[in-house]
Amino acid sequence: MLARIAHELYWLGRNLARAEFTARAVEAVFQAELQGASDTKPGVSFGSGGLLAMFGDVDESERSSQALGQLTLDADRPGSMLASIERAREGARTVRDVISAEMWEAINTTALGLRGGGQPGWAAPAGPYLASQYVKERTALIWGVSNRSMLRDEAKCFLDAGGLIEVSDMVLRMLRVALPSADAAAADGHALILLQAVGGFHAYLRAVTSPPNAHPVARFLLFERGYPDSVAACVDSLHEVFTAADAGPRNSKPVLRVSRLAADLDFQRRALPDGAELTGICEGTQQELARIDQDVAERYFAGAAAAGLRR
Amino acid sequence: MISHTQTPAEDAGAVTPASEYRPQAPFLDELFELDGTPRPAASALVEQLRLLGPEGMIEAGRRRDAIFMQQGITFETSGGGGSSHERPFPLDLVPRVLSGQEWRDIKRGLAQRIRALNHFVDDVYHAREIVREGIVPWRLVASCSHFARAVHGIRPPGGVYTHVAGCDLVRHSDGTWKVIEDNVRIPSGISYVLENRAAMARLVPELFASYRVRPVDHYPQLLLSALRSVAPSAESEATVVVWTPGPANPAYFEHAFLARQMGVELVEASDLVVRDDVLYMRTTRGLERAHAVYRRLDDDFVDPLEFRPDSLLGVPGLVRAYRAGSVAIANAFGTGVADDKAIYCFVPDMIRFYLGEEPILENVRTYLLSDPEQLEHVLARLDQLVVKPTGESGGRGVMIGPHAEEEEIERMRETVIAHPERWIAQDVVRLSTVPTVGEHGVLQPRHVDLRPFAVFGERIDIVPGGLTRVALEEGSLIVNSSRGGGSKDTWVLEDGDDADRAGPPIADTQPPALPDLRYGAWTGQQQQQQQEHHQQQQEQPAPRAAG
Repeated sequence: MLARIAHELYWLGRNLARAEFTARAVEAVFQAELQGASDTKPGVSFGSGGLLAMFGDVDESERSSQALGQLTLDADRPGSMLASIERAREGARTVRDVISAEMWEAINTTALGLRGGGQPGWAAPAGPYLASQYVKERTALIWGVSNRSMLRDEAKCFLDAGGLIEVSDMVLRMLRVALPSADAAAADGHALILLQAVGGFHAYLRAVTSPPNAHPVARFLLFERGYPDSVAACVDSLHEVFTAADAGPRNSKPVLRVSRLAADLDFQRRALPDGAELTGICEGTQQELARIDQDVAERYFAGAAAAGLRR
Repeated sequence: MISHTQTPAEDAGAVTPASEYRPQAPFLDELFELDGTPRPAASALVEQLRLLGPEGMIEAGRRRDAIFMQQGITFETSGGGGSSHERPFPLDLVPRVLSGQEWRDIKRGLAQRIRALNHFVDDVYHAREIVREGIVPWRLVASCSHFARAVHGIRPPGGVYTHVAGCDLVRHSDGTWKVIEDNVRIPSGISYVLENRAAMARLVPELFASYRVRPVDHYPQLLLSALRSVAPSAESEATVVVWTPGPANPAYFEHAFLARQMGVELVEASDLVVRDDVLYMRTTRGLERAHAVYRRLDDDFVDPLEFRPDSLLGVPGLVRAYRAGSVAIANAFGTGVADDKAIYCFVPDMIRFYLGEEPILENVRTYLLSDPEQLEHVLARLDQLVVKPTGESGGRGVMIGPHAEEEEIERMRETVIAHPERWIAQDVVRLSTVPTVGEHGVLQPRHVDLRPFAVFGERIDIVPGGLTRVALEEGSLIVNSSRGGGSKDTWVLEDGDDADRAGPPIADTQPPALPDLRYGAWTGQQQQQQQEHHQQQQEQPAPRAAG
């Protein structure tokens, strides 16, 4: 397929996943901040400040109350859900001949619904919550439609690859922001909010017996292959889609690198003792993912990049 | 000649049922007789429209806008201050109806005309026989803005130049069809034909009730097989691509639509590269060859080495690849010479010269202003004629004399005297009208034209109907969508007498017998039954069938 199209699909996947993940995180933080501090000591710190930090925002002056609003419908903020969806729509418009008509409609309708302050009632205090709900539902619908209506060919591979790499990046970002640093490892309180922020609460309860404290939760989000949004599961799926899309997967740099990362995560899952420090692993994995992203651009999108495309 | 002052419909604004619709003399109305009774073929349609009523029309219109916005079937209009915003494509909900017989005549006429135009393009870039015979002056050909010296002597595979053609037809008040313009460069609008039909079936299915309308949705496949048939490919399947200038182009929707419907890649210039006179596209697996290009941009921009050197949208070396015969281009480079408005006057002569036939479809009477006698005649009646620039399309620069202000006419007079060869003049055509949903859902007569789309591969195929464009303003004769025009679904009725009609209707086939549906449910009773069954099986091993 065309290198330019593959590039657009990859970023379409990334933007959709980013919007969805932002929505989930905003929803979790919104609900958590409405309530007072919990009785048991929290093991992680993740609030609106952390949320902003996740998106690479270091400006300490603007905090909490505005943060959620900025991450939902602020068109000028590149990390907001609206901005992600608008970018996805632009991308979808460019590849309209490759994705199904249904999928384009689903994305277009989502963008139309978010524009200009969104739906009536979103100006209310509950606005961030309602907008997040909307984005969650719409992205679920978009992915569902894409799974049902798109051929499982290269195009789908690159779309999925973008989504997978974005999800694992977002999970890692969240863990790096929220996990206690190494020396504070003793304070292992509950970490429900992390599960809520990715929508994995229910899956955790069924997969893990220990209470949702910082370490088991972090291990779950990093290593649990049965949970589709865990880093390990994403990396596994990444390996699958790149192998399917690549003309010569046996000597393809991105495939080899993903394969190594998957093995590495599996090794750490088995070798690391309980309670071992995980922030270092998060950082290393995130850097490795960045290298994979680079390899992907070089191997598959080289033509498009050479032609002077944006991004 | 039409009168300058249109009598406004007396009952405009009042809520009138369709039965009180009044056609405006002297224009021919396609659904109603002059006295307001429906024409025989349209009576069932008119009855359905009456049942729908103005409220039904308004409601359906609201749903139409919502659906078009969601699907992104929009076009951008520029408002004041350079701002542009998206508007849903204006589809009018009253269809236009053509009988099978009418359509057969149009089809024969168009095929004849397109064949002649194709001959003409071939002739212009080779032997120039028509010039030597003194039928078309060479001076006129060479001065066409779309005449391309770069492609002299190149004959594309199959000798086909005008793969895609759309001639604009109008219906005169005496009922005859006339050609008002030929489009053989990059005619657009086919996507709206298909989308209009799909939308009509969703929005007002009741209108289809009494009619068998011939389908249009096979156009992309016609186009694809035509492109494949001209592609220079030794391999089993040729790679066809659609080439768009990019998402910023107003017709980008159509480019993407066609690529999607044909299942081929939609490429931009940055995806294409020519190496050793062969065209390739950049893919995730390196360079891959492209055999046929359906290009949707003008000659001027396609190759900076041969045409405009400042083009950023072009592919350097493309014309060389084309000359080497390694790639087919649709429409071929240089076809624009055949849809120049100055050449238009000669099309009936071309038909006689190349095909030895009498033209089936007439031209509108046209004056060539480069001829001093005709120029003088035209200058005397500028206020009664339509003046058009020769090398433009899409209604740009057109002046309609009877509707123009005094000073506009004076300005035109000066322009025409300065460069008479760049202009033509035509009699004003009394465009036929079709009832159209106006304000408050009331039907009002509006002027229409028709652009059928033809595909020329191994043979000429024309999709039944075409794009009917309608002037949405009262009395207006300008139907271009960029200037406030809308469109209508165009129905060609099946009368069981057409050779290329589709196969037997679906209802004729006998469905196979299917097993009953099964429903899964895990009730307590079933559990018990299952257990008992299990026990029985354990106690006595399954008996073999006796014998």
